[in-house]
Amino acid sequence: MKPDTDQLLAYIERTVERTLTACTGCGKCFDVCPMTRYSDLLPGRPGGEVVAGVLDILRGKAGTPAAVEWTRLCTQSALCIPVCPEKIDPMLMLRLSRITALGSTGAQPLLPNPRRDPEFFRRINAFAKLQLSEAELDEWQR
Amino acid sequence: MSERVVFWYGCNAIRHGDIIHGASALLRAVGVESDPAGGPAYCCGTTEDGNLQSAAGMAANTIRKFNRSGRGTVVTWCPSCHRHMGTFMGGVASANFEVAHITQVLHARRHLLAPLLTQRVERKVVLHAHTGFHEVDANPLVADLLRLIPGLDLVVADYSAPGHMCSALVAVPAALKDAVRRNVELTVEHGTDTLVTVFHSCQRLLCGLATTDGVEVVNYVNLLTQAMGIAALPDEYAQWKNAGSDAEIMARVGPERIAKVGVKFFETQVLPELRRLPEK
Repeated sequence: MKPDTDQLLAYIERTVERTLTACTGCGKCFDVCPMTRYSDLLPGRPGGEVVAGVLDILRGKAGTPAAVEWTRLCTQSALCIPVCPEKIDPMLMLRLSRITALGSTGAQPLLPNPRRDPEFFRRINAFAKLQLSEAELDEWQR
Repeated sequence: MSERVVFWYGCNAIRHGDIIHGASALLRAVGVESDPAGGPAYCCGTTEDGNLQSAAGMAANTIRKFNRSGRGTVVTWCPSCHRHMGTFMGGVASANFEVAHITQVLHARRHLLAPLLTQRVERKVVLHAHTGFHEVDANPLVADLLRLIPGLDLVVADYSAPGHMCSALVAVPAALKDAVRRNVELTVEHGTDTLVTVFHSCQRLLCGLATTDGVEVVNYVNLLTQAMGIAALPDEYAQWKNAGSDAEIMARVGPERIAKVGVKFFETQVLPELRRLPEK
């Protein structure tokens, strides 16, 4: 493991720990989420129950299907942040849940981890070549 | 903020060379000289949640490059990069620079910008807004900047799409369709045919509305440079997307530029993206 990766894992661990300590599982973040209506599994669920499942994922456990689904659906709308009475960042909590659910921290994967499109960066470079001069490519992109 | 900064435009914004050039011109106009930096070599790593070794490497590499630049401030364009810098990237490596979003920089210096906006832009436009960029409340900042443009009739509707920009919704296609549909409805309700985007991915994913719904999608940067009378570069990405056929796209890009990226790569990787139009 490279030191940079160790640093990132340590940051994730610290932030997860802080979240687990501060979150009371009130579920207000879930209740205001604009994305739950895009799931058959989530509407009408008690917020506290779903959040408890997310905290379970952060502990490296299986969570619940609803918690995994909510994790998958988060599009970083940020409406959850101002309603949190504990002033934690529920959007960051869900990002950490996603990272954990992908198996990136060593926990059992709960979400499929699609490989990045191998052409993702090549396409970006192609559009750069189409629109920037050689000098700009040299100075700005390298 | 020091007067010479890094302008970190991120990865995907480079699909819109006009925005990068226009944003640099706006910074210069308010007294901020910038060294643009972006593309994969300056990736923040936010797309790498499934591969932390890659995420950490990208984050550390980018922060160290900025540290070596000697610039005291990095001005961000992309809300994902800005967010990632404020969270995970800062956990990987120490930064010896401040971070500000371009909307903050332009807004704070709008008294310098206002006298330069001398050209009337007689258009009614609806601001395309998202809820999610909580680190910087960019929507009202951009609205304030647009209100400086003489002749521009700006509508700030009471609808903001979920997510921090349209690309966040791609993973939930029904949500993206809802956002597209609602934005088209807003243009009809307010009697206009123009949406103004704040971020590049909204520009990328919505600009095809010119073809599907007769709605022109313009980034706020291009309205400001137009009002300054700068001979801005055209929004070629939108032109290509609305060209109508593969043959017309290729004619507009031109054989010389296609050769730069390779004909096969252009046909298999670039054309399919340009063919895709917004759905609602």
